[in-house]
Amino acid sequence: MRNPFTRAIIGLALVLVVSSVAFAQTGQSQPPQATREGSQWKYNPIDRAAGSGGPAPKRDLSGTWAGPRSGAGVPDFKRGDQPSLTPLGQQLFRENKPLAKFSPAGTNDPTVRTCDPFGVPRNSIDEIRGLSFATMPGRIVMLIQFQDLWREIWMDGRALPTNVGAAEKGAPDPRYNGYSVGHWEGDYTLVIDTTGLDERTWLNREGYPHTVNAHVQERYTRIDHNNLELTVTIDDSKVYAKPFSLGTAHFRWIPNQELDEKLCLPSEVIEYLKALGDPAGSDPNAVGPSRK
Amino acid sequence: MKTKLLISVAFLAGLLTVCSPVFAHHGASAYETSKPVMMKGAVVTKYSWINPHTLIYFDYTDDKGEVQHWTAEIGSPSAVNLLGWTRTTLKPGDIVTVYVFQAKSHLPVGRLNKLVLADGTLLRDSQTGGDRGERADDAVR
Repeated sequence: MRNPFTRAIIGLALVLVVSSVAFAQTGQSQPPQATREGSQWKYNPIDRAAGSGGPAPKRDLSGTWAGPRSGAGVPDFKRGDQPSLTPLGQQLFRENKPLAKFSPAGTNDPTVRTCDPFGVPRNSIDEIRGLSFATMPGRIVMLIQFQDLWREIWMDGRALPTNVGAAEKGAPDPRYNGYSVGHWEGDYTLVIDTTGLDERTWLNREGYPHTVNAHVQERYTRIDHNNLELTVTIDDSKVYAKPFSLGTAHFRWIPNQELDEKLCLPSEVIEYLKALGDPAGSDPNAVGPSRK
Repeated sequence: MKTKLLISVAFLAGLLTVCSPVFAHHGASAYETSKPVMMKGAVVTKYSWINPHTLIYFDYTDDKGEVQHWTAEIGSPSAVNLLGWTRTTLKPGDIVTVYVFQAKSHLPVGRLNKLVLADGTLLRDSQTGGDRGERADDAVR
């Protein structure tokens, strides 16, 4: 190389590349302490179901599954479309102050400072490290690790209610988990339709709003014995110009079928906010943290 | 020659942007992220294995002999357990070296980047535990 300036640039580039590789290596964590001989009463993230486990059983999601960020090596939750908000939607969206930008001290995400429920559909896509399915007469029951909560999905062919929250006598009340019906599409995809959602919830942690008449569709596809995939779409014409996908989550069969407990406890949140969250403050004008 | 210089400067600027610290998503905008504060000989006073985030309370005696009472957070038990933290990792009286991204409020609170136990064990936060303050848990997710 003739030009010393070019040499210097290339040298610096090499240094930067090598040092970022070195950083990546030292940025890796220590190996987790769990081993394959973990207790049968504990979730053991490195004891992972190997391969497909054979073909998917037909019309059967029963069992316990590990989701994104559970340590089971499943892909991260994949965001869906960027929704197109109506004027009302934009107004409602602006009122919401998500945790990522506003920090615990400044957020008005009701799930953060007071452990209010995520509701549907957020409890299928947020803190979704563990999920189980079981059956009861006429229903499939979803059991969600975070907050130990369950949802009932009616499989008896009934229609969704159309008058939730209406003034008329006998109209059902809005619920955090809404009202859900399900049906099988083929033998491997459970389609769940939900409406009647309490309007206090956010669709996701970013703060996307919804109305009581939002129609949420979840599609759970059992790919093989060990793998399950979920896609969630939203149709809420008052706030979104057209239906859009909220995203995709992947779940993996847990060999010992155990999950650890994971609860948002108001008493713990009170300690957290007093000791750390509120003193740390909120700086919404800071350059936002980069998204992964 | 001028054009070459401009291109080189632009290239360097681009590289520096790519290599700058990145913070993940979870409410870290209240913290001073450019460099963690290092404190050696910090004495743990309390360890709360709680949601939403585990808390480490410690006392640090500065050069002037004044004792500062600090609180640092790491990820939730579910998150940091994957990086080797447990319910009993710390107890009052433990002496540790901590690296903390301090709050912009300048109060003695912040997000822990990493911590070194008396026996030399290094433990990282899930969200900000990388050497540039990036996520440290991608390998164990």
